[in-house]
Amino acid sequence: MTGIARPNGQAIFALVLLVLTSVYASQIFKLGLPFENGVEPGASFLPIVLSAIMYVGALRILLVELRRGRAETADARPQSDTVPAVTVLGPLVVIAATALFAYGLERVGYFVAAGAYTFAVALYFNFEDSGRPVYALVLSAITALAVTLFGWAFFVWLFELTLPGWNL
Amino acid sequence: MLELAGGFSALFAPWPFLYLVGGFLLGLVFGAIPGLTATLAIALLLPFTFGMEVTNALIMVMGIYMAGIYAGSITGITLNIPGAPSGAITSIDGHALMKKGHGAQALSLDAFASSVGGMIGALVLMMLAQPISQLALLFRTPEKFSLVLLAVVTVTIVSRGSLWRATIAMTLGLMISTVGIDPMVPKGRFDFGSYHLVEGIGLLPAVIGLFAICELLVQAATPARNAMGVAVAELPRLRHRDFIPDFRIIREIGAFLYLKSSVIGVLIGMLPGGGAAMASFIAYAEAKRTAKRPEAFGDGSHEGLAASESANNAMCGGAIIPLLTMGIPGDAVTAIIFGVLLIHGLVPGPGLLVDHTATIAPMFAALFVASAFVMVSVVAFGPFYLRLARINRGMLYAFIALVSMAGVYASSFSGFQMWMALAIGIFAFALRRFDYPVVPMLMGVILGPYLEEFLRRSLIVSKGDPTIFVTSPFSLLFLLLTLVFIWLLRLRPSARAGSTG
Repeated sequence: MTGIARPNGQAIFALVLLVLTSVYASQIFKLGLPFENGVEPGASFLPIVLSAIMYVGALRILLVELRRGRAETADARPQSDTVPAVTVLGPLVVIAATALFAYGLERVGYFVAAGAYTFAVALYFNFEDSGRPVYALVLSAITALAVTLFGWAFFVWLFELTLPGWNL
Repeated sequence: MLELAGGFSALFAPWPFLYLVGGFLLGLVFGAIPGLTATLAIALLLPFTFGMEVTNALIMVMGIYMAGIYAGSITGITLNIPGAPSGAITSIDGHALMKKGHGAQALSLDAFASSVGGMIGALVLMMLAQPISQLALLFRTPEKFSLVLLAVVTVTIVSRGSLWRATIAMTLGLMISTVGIDPMVPKGRFDFGSYHLVEGIGLLPAVIGLFAICELLVQAATPARNAMGVAVAELPRLRHRDFIPDFRIIREIGAFLYLKSSVIGVLIGMLPGGGAAMASFIAYAEAKRTAKRPEAFGDGSHEGLAASESANNAMCGGAIIPLLTMGIPGDAVTAIIFGVLLIHGLVPGPGLLVDHTATIAPMFAALFVASAFVMVSVVAFGPFYLRLARINRGMLYAFIALVSMAGVYASSFSGFQMWMALAIGIFAFALRRFDYPVVPMLMGVILGPYLEEFLRRSLIVSKGDPTIFVTSPFSLLFLLLTLVFIWLLRLRPSARAGSTG
């Protein structure tokens, strides 16, 4: 294939890397010029080198992927019998549950946050595996109880680390 | 050497020994379950090490490391699904033996080879650690810069897949390492006005994000039927005594093959970025090259099985040598061990063995004893190995999720660090989705501060003259080695692939 085809996921990700590099590079101006004092490379030298490598690498990948286009890079994504679009929905469920745990831990305490978090994660995996909602609910509730108590015993009793127990 | 041997007496105290057994069992489970690795197990352990004595933490890590590398081959042999990349080569002949009805014998020979390799690796570590430390004490700042550069370049070029993607992953890690206070002047960099970022991005959220959260997301995107073995029910019922190795076969394989493969494993382990998979591949190729019946390789060769498995466990001892003696982690596991040492205020490098021999010696002993455990474990747990691949995924990943996130909070008391771990995990998941390796990124995070500090200090000493890096003999040697590795590991294979079409 010649010329530029419709962008594939690789090309879009390379673009994301270029944007992230630009955000990073925008801060370099605050660090002064490299070798300002004629001896020391200064705080900006390595970031400049790294940004340059990122621009070259990401641009190269972007151009190669744009030439390849969508059709040549389409891969067979695994399908689940129980969860539609599992490659997208699965990670989204886990990200949402993890974000809620991070938000809730200091607000509602370990037991509620960890119980809900482990229940949500176990429920997703159990339902995806079995396709039976009631079975998945019961098994996940037992799992959540066991893992939450195990986590507390491990962190707080055995290793004497601190977690907020109940903040309700 | 005598001081290091004294580590054995410290190891056999009740608590250290229990930590070793606990770590070994954890490594066994994580190594054997497809998708989980010793790296993940050690990453999950990292928050707990805040509440442990450093010696116990290191002992436990050694147990996980040895068992995790070995166990990668268990489901490779039984189901042809390697639990970890380190078991991929062993699976070729191991699973062929399994299909011929010699599964238990394959598992026992596998464990025997792992034990022998692990012990040889641990002995080499004990013999070489102090002499190399003494030598490394002579290194000045330019030599240290060239050594770190050698590690950065080698880890990048040995990564599988696209060199460009590996370079980007390494660069991303180095960029993350520049966030926070400048190493030379007290000035914040890339903090975007956030006081959280002025402190920099910690190793703990980076490790948990790159390995635990990322793995959780990868597994959530993988249907159960793709992730776990399905043929377990078809396997024959096995007894403990079936897992005692047949010494007639071991004699046929020969002591020289075990020794040669183990030495290859140690040498590959010492190479930054080498890793267990590369060690087992090179030892396997060498065994095949010199075999009387090379045609048997791939069809259930005992020699092939022994070579790959001796090498990947011998690699463990080799990989620890540059970490402890020069402060250079060569792979993800040693990078996390680096973190364990830093958490406890110990700086990996030539001074470590001189100043903290009593702390480090039990770690060496633990590696040796864990190697012996491998042989014991196959007889004790062999019949149960077949069930490991069927562990309930809901329970497993709920456990990993909670230990990861609560672990980051419990060891940092910071909600921000949890968000950072999640953000790094999501980013690492995207990297893996698009075939970027994540190990170079972790190495970049760890080695970045040293690379920059040694570069800048060297140039201050030389008043801005870059020839300081080629006028020092050791520095020149490391730079030349970097070029040799680029040629050997990237340019020559590419040229050969090109010439053979």
